[in-house]
Amino acid sequence: MSYYFTVMAMYILIGIIAAWGLNLQFGETGVLNFAYVLFIAAGAYTTAVLTLGHPSANGTQQYFWGAHLPFPIPWIVSMAVGAVLGVAVGLVSLRRLRGDYQAMVMLVVSLIATYLVSANVGFLNGETGLALIPQPFGNLHLSELNYRWFFVAVTAVVTLLVFEVMRRITGSPLGRVLRAVRENEAAAVALGTNVVKMRLLTMAVGGAVAALAGAIEVQFIGAWAPAGWTYPETFGLFAAVLVGGRGNLGGVALGAFLVQGLFLEGTVLLPSIGNPDLVGAVQWITMGVMIMLFMWFRPRGVLPERRRRFTTEARTRLPLLLVRAQRDARG
Amino acid sequence: MNQVLSSLGFGIVTASILLPAAIGFTLQFSATNVLNIGFGSQMTLAAFIGYVCTSHGVGLWYALLLAGVFGGVTSLLLNRFLLTPFMRRGTTFFGMIVITIALSLVLEYTIEAIWGPQSVFYPLSTGGTVHLGSMSFTGEQLVIIGIGVALALATHALLRYTRTGKAMRAVAGNAPLARASGVPAQRIVDLAWMLSGFMGGAAGVMLGISLSSVSFTMGDTLLVEIIAAAVLGGVGQVYGAMLGSVVIGVLLEESAIVLSGAYAPISAFAVLIIVLLIRPTGLFAGTAKAKGVAA
Repeated sequence: MSYYFTVMAMYILIGIIAAWGLNLQFGETGVLNFAYVLFIAAGAYTTAVLTLGHPSANGTQQYFWGAHLPFPIPWIVSMAVGAVLGVAVGLVSLRRLRGDYQAMVMLVVSLIATYLVSANVGFLNGETGLALIPQPFGNLHLSELNYRWFFVAVTAVVTLLVFEVMRRITGSPLGRVLRAVRENEAAAVALGTNVVKMRLLTMAVGGAVAALAGAIEVQFIGAWAPAGWTYPETFGLFAAVLVGGRGNLGGVALGAFLVQGLFLEGTVLLPSIGNPDLVGAVQWITMGVMIMLFMWFRPRGVLPERRRRFTTEARTRLPLLLVRAQRDARG
Repeated sequence: MNQVLSSLGFGIVTASILLPAAIGFTLQFSATNVLNIGFGSQMTLAAFIGYVCTSHGVGLWYALLLAGVFGGVTSLLLNRFLLTPFMRRGTTFFGMIVITIALSLVLEYTIEAIWGPQSVFYPLSTGGTVHLGSMSFTGEQLVIIGIGVALALATHALLRYTRTGKAMRAVAGNAPLARASGVPAQRIVDLAWMLSGFMGGAAGVMLGISLSSVSFTMGDTLLVEIIAAAVLGGVGQVYGAMLGSVVIGVLLEESAIVLSGAYAPISAFAVLIIVLLIRPTGLFAGTAKAKGVAA
């Protein structure tokens, strides 16, 4: 049971980190990154190949390249990869397109990436995925359970760090510019904000955070395969952000706890009914219905964003506020 | 050369399947301005309805018709009871795409919950093949080509030569103006959703026949190809979608000569990326520019 609690705690913490990254893009800046899970996967695969060692050392698994680097280097490199990938995807999809059109393009990117990695066995071991990924703190010689709790503690520290970074970004003048981009793009442009640059920035930062979540996850579970990052996973996180309250870090954490922890992972505790595929299918159906219900009844989530300075009611005051935000951003 | 020609045969079949699908997708977008990315899942659902019909002894082509009608009716109902209420409530296009993707999740996994994760198979006749030079077609493939072309021609006739088609173009061009001129815009939008669902449903079954099987994730790959075709032609442009379908369909099969078969869908994706980088509005830029989806 204690063993199971460590798993739950890990999934909740990883879910919270990932949901915060998505919140920066979707909640703060209004970028609908429908390829978000791709960045989690990028982090996971990067960490996997950076810890597995040279491919010839893992005879049965095929991957294009590998190294054996100690913690925390793989996690840091993963974040860099996530950021670069975020800018690359952003450059293709964000320029000169309306928000929903951008989202559609990103969904296509996500679908194709899963397809490509599954089809190309030599790249990242195809559909089977990578396994036997070494543990980061193996040289501590802790007992199995203590090791797990230690891993949870490390992840909790990382979660706090991510929280601090997110809090500083959203509370800063930069955060105000991001919200201006979300609320009224035309006004933000008129006041000299480079909207595309701001969106690319959130793609980079959000991508790095997603990759970090993926890096932690892959080291904890020790395996990673395309089935774990299909496009619905992105909407599990969207549901978390929507349920919790987009633009509110505490709310998003609550949403991640409820959706990623209790709903997606907690159902493992339930007695199994029918075939295992049925439970998974019903979970995703419920997820879709949940997104719709929240969009209808409570689009701002359980804990709505505080100090809504750029809502429609404030539209008359918007130019003034934007001027102030701009001035602050320039320091 | 022979290989290029024989792949061209497959390409024509694929293009004929993409034709109604891309027309349906783009027609609905032009009338409503909502990008329905649940379209792939709606097609898959209709393809499964087609499977249910055939497994109850309904002939293949009647099953196609029934699945098309099913697709049209569900699409109409989804619009009436899900998407229009959200639009009326002032949900932005930004929010609408979240709704359509949620819809996609619900449909896709409802299919999995009912029919399971394995593919189901259509009963196909084991008739001979027809040879045209180095291209060869089965009887079913020839009928698929016929249906695809017929649906495209029917759309053309509807839009050009009927009053309803004229109204549909008016709503697509400028909905408030059309409404002010006495066009029953809501009914036209309903009709666009219904036609879109019908076309998608028919295309779903056509793909099922062409592959001989359907699975619950079939719509995902298909959606990539439909979007590539629609974006290449210029989203919201019916004739653009027709052109895009032919280009993407032929390219998908021809690229299989160079790339290995499993990579073929990548070529559709590559076209999409190139279009977005060079000319995001697509070849026929009118609608994309007018609706402000791309500049």
